[in-house]
Amino acid sequence: MKIIRLILALTLLAATAVPSYGQAKKKQVLNLFCWSEYVPQEVIDGFTKETGIKVNTENYASNEEMLSKLLAGGSKYDLIQPSEYTIEALIKKEKLDALTLENIPNLKNLDPKFTKMPHDPEGKYSVPWMAGTVGIVVNTAKVKTPITGYKDVFAGTHKRRIVVLNDSREIVSWALATLGISANDMTPENLEKAKPILATWLPQVKVYDSDSPKTALLNGDVDLGIVWSGEAAILWKKNKKFSYVLPAEGAHQFIDSLAIPKGAPNKGNAEKFINYILKPEVSVLISGEFPYTNPNAEAVKLLKPEQRDNPASYPPSAPKLETFKDIGAAAKDIDKLVTAIKGRK
Amino acid sequence: MGLVNLLCAGWSGLVFLFLYIPIVLLVVYSFNASDLISIWGGFSTEWYVKLWNNGPLIDATKNSLIIAAFTTVFSVILGTLGAWLLYRYKFPALRPLGTLIFIPMVIPEVIMGVSLLILFTVVSVPLNQWLATFTEAEFAQGFATIIIAHTTFCFPFVLVAVQARLTGVDPFLEEAAMDLGAPPLKAFWLVMVPYLLPAIVSGALMSFTLSMDEVIVTFFVTGPESQTLPLKIFGLAKKGLDPSLNAVSTVFVLATAILVVVADRVRKFKH
Amino acid sequence: MQAALGAPDPSGTRRPGLFGWLLMTPMLLWLFAFVVAPTLILLVYSFCERDDLGQVVYSFTWDNYRRIFFDSDTGEFGTTYFTVFVRSVIYAGLTTVICLVVGYPVAWSIGRAPESRRNLLLTLVMIPFWTSFLIRTYAWITILSTNGLLNSFLQYTKLIEEPFDMLYTPGAVVLGLVYSYLPFLILPVYGSVEKLDNSLVEAAFDLGAGPVRAFQKVIIPLTQPGIVAGVLLVFIPAIGMFAISQLMGGGTDPTIGEVIQNQFMQARDWPFGAALGMTLVVMFAGAFWFTSRRQAAVPG
Repeated sequence: MKIIRLILALTLLAATAVPSYGQAKKKQVLNLFCWSEYVPQEVIDGFTKETGIKVNTENYASNEEMLSKLLAGGSKYDLIQPSEYTIEALIKKEKLDALTLENIPNLKNLDPKFTKMPHDPEGKYSVPWMAGTVGIVVNTAKVKTPITGYKDVFAGTHKRRIVVLNDSREIVSWALATLGISANDMTPENLEKAKPILATWLPQVKVYDSDSPKTALLNGDVDLGIVWSGEAAILWKKNKKFSYVLPAEGAHQFIDSLAIPKGAPNKGNAEKFINYILKPEVSVLISGEFPYTNPNAEAVKLLKPEQRDNPASYPPSAPKLETFKDIGAAAKDIDKLVTAIKGRK
Repeated sequence: MGLVNLLCAGWSGLVFLFLYIPIVLLVVYSFNASDLISIWGGFSTEWYVKLWNNGPLIDATKNSLIIAAFTTVFSVILGTLGAWLLYRYKFPALRPLGTLIFIPMVIPEVIMGVSLLILFTVVSVPLNQWLATFTEAEFAQGFATIIIAHTTFCFPFVLVAVQARLTGVDPFLEEAAMDLGAPPLKAFWLVMVPYLLPAIVSGALMSFTLSMDEVIVTFFVTGPESQTLPLKIFGLAKKGLDPSLNAVSTVFVLATAILVVVADRVRKFKH
Repeated sequence: MQAALGAPDPSGTRRPGLFGWLLMTPMLLWLFAFVVAPTLILLVYSFCERDDLGQVVYSFTWDNYRRIFFDSDTGEFGTTYFTVFVRSVIYAGLTTVICLVVGYPVAWSIGRAPESRRNLLLTLVMIPFWTSFLIRTYAWITILSTNGLLNSFLQYTKLIEEPFDMLYTPGAVVLGLVYSYLPFLILPVYGSVEKLDNSLVEAAFDLGAGPVRAFQKVIIPLTQPGIVAGVLLVFIPAIGMFAISQLMGGGTDPTIGEVIQNQFMQARDWPFGAALGMTLVVMFAGAFWFTSRRQAAVPG
């Protein structure tokens, strides 16, 4: 009965895998719940070296994924990395702990443009990590007509040559922008107005992709895209034929930030981490991995010229930029609207 | 007859070609100098060096292997025993069981992940209070919860494969052995298991494969110290998948292929 | 056939004694703890509402189910989610049929191969799937895209002038599905083919009825349990899939798996997602119950 012995041994092993967590407590730890790969390993290693605090990371790929795990209360996290509208909602529901600002002296390095924004007016709950925009990428080798806004993308001449983010709220906000309506005004009447526009737009889309819209552009399957500025920056780095345009009708600016959830077991360590990443020489490392807009004014000074010249990361001129507010229950109407129109030919 | 077998073998060759074309490509692209996997940028072995130095990625691969191994063992036990018992006995009041077994298969992963997450969260509070009365250990999400979740959607695959193999077999086949004096479990072990082996092997292969590649359910039931390879790779998609991921897959496929061939040779040699 | 569907063949079964129940306990416990309990949580959620943050608020409402079947503006039968359901079933059905046609001969060859070779061949079927799903899919994208290998090859050999669209079409989705699910058909069918007696197979062919009739009259009926198992293992998981239709189809035609995914990961509407999931389970259980009833009524 060798096999039975083997099974017994395996079961015991599995059972012991559980208690191993209890022991980790004695050491200083930080439980970081962040966007996948958004915090470079170099930064984490540097932090551990300087402070002796061990960092446990868990990753997610969208604000909603993070929320679903945070709200279910599966694990205790010390530091989370939500975007602006999620921060607003979390503050409203009292799910965030206020920061002890004295513990984070490096806050002074931040560009005031990115602090005390509408989602956290007193700057009490969140510290910006990276900012970015959603804009239009044009393959200028294929598209010769000038593209200035959403209307040009969906003019009908680029039918089935377009990739857009697979994100219902983003898509609806573009349609509203062409009507001059704010992305935060998702009333049923406004959605009704957006409906006919989306009905002409969505059949022209070939690919919906939020994770890696650059793939379809690089492979030549599409010529135009409405994507994250970070994706556009990577494309521009690969080939200068990909130009980035901020839509004239107005664009979404997102602010990914750090925040401490209520009940965090190691709040002090979380603040140490925030202070650490605000050091200009550390912040530059993040910019190296992720070509988004760095809100750290001191770090921007240290960037290489080719990083600063990337038009997707640091656009020379910006039209109307708007951050998202939490829209609460309207999210379900938006989802239904987009689902109903997708798949229609 | 011979012609039929020949035609089938020829067709199988084509199907194997179909199965391996993307794999060959994946291996070729692991030697890609470009840092994006979909664009060719010349020959390079730098990604293997990078892989060697990428601790988190190697750890994630180890975690995935551990989880898949446990899942396979548990799934095979639950699935084989379940199929055999359901075949041999008529359990009163257990007719709906047939449907129940398929629920983990039919339900989308995200729903299964969320509902297991809620279950584990609800259970963890009283469980930890109880554990605290006699030990320092506490229940937290990690390897154990992932293995539980994976086994739940893998064992039906074993069960279905074994059930198909059982059809038409005399349900009391092993009683012949019992008549000769063997205790029931031993009789099952000596008579049924060898007969069911092809189906058990199929089921084990399917469980291992499903567990190695699962992302969504794993995301919900994982803890901070049990990152798996698929979680890592799906996360990397945001930054851009680089050929070091092809390198992981290549190393893995080559290692298994060599292992399988060596095992085959050894067995032949013994014969 | 019945055994493959989970209902034991009544002809040779007996009531379990203490020993039978004892052995059955682990599986029953497992099913109740990790299948029944989560499904009940889901059922409760499907009658609840959500608050602004997306947290579930306990209440009782039929609203989530009403939204699936009726248009909220007009109160008439709504086609939005119905279309999505139908599309998913068509994709899954098509995949199953192709997998069966492509995979059966492979299972046959492996089952008829020398005994020492069989496990090796089975493992060879599985090895491609021990690579990562995403990396595999990107390999297909490299092959099928506009500037991809297949288009380049066809242009080089002058078979086509201009590259044509292969990626981001329904055809690409079916290709991706067939590729991913083929092993789940081959393996169970192999289990049935492998146990066919060689002399029986030869006798079937020697009857002089020709290979087609031999297959039709003898071999297919004998391997039917394996076929049924394989069909179940392909069709059922394929209905709920979403990643393939997004990556290879471009996500333009949402499937039910995608819509459910969105409720949890975008719209933060768990109750509605739960209601969609419950509908899927109930539809499946209904179809299951219906087929096993029909089989019980028509023996053989």
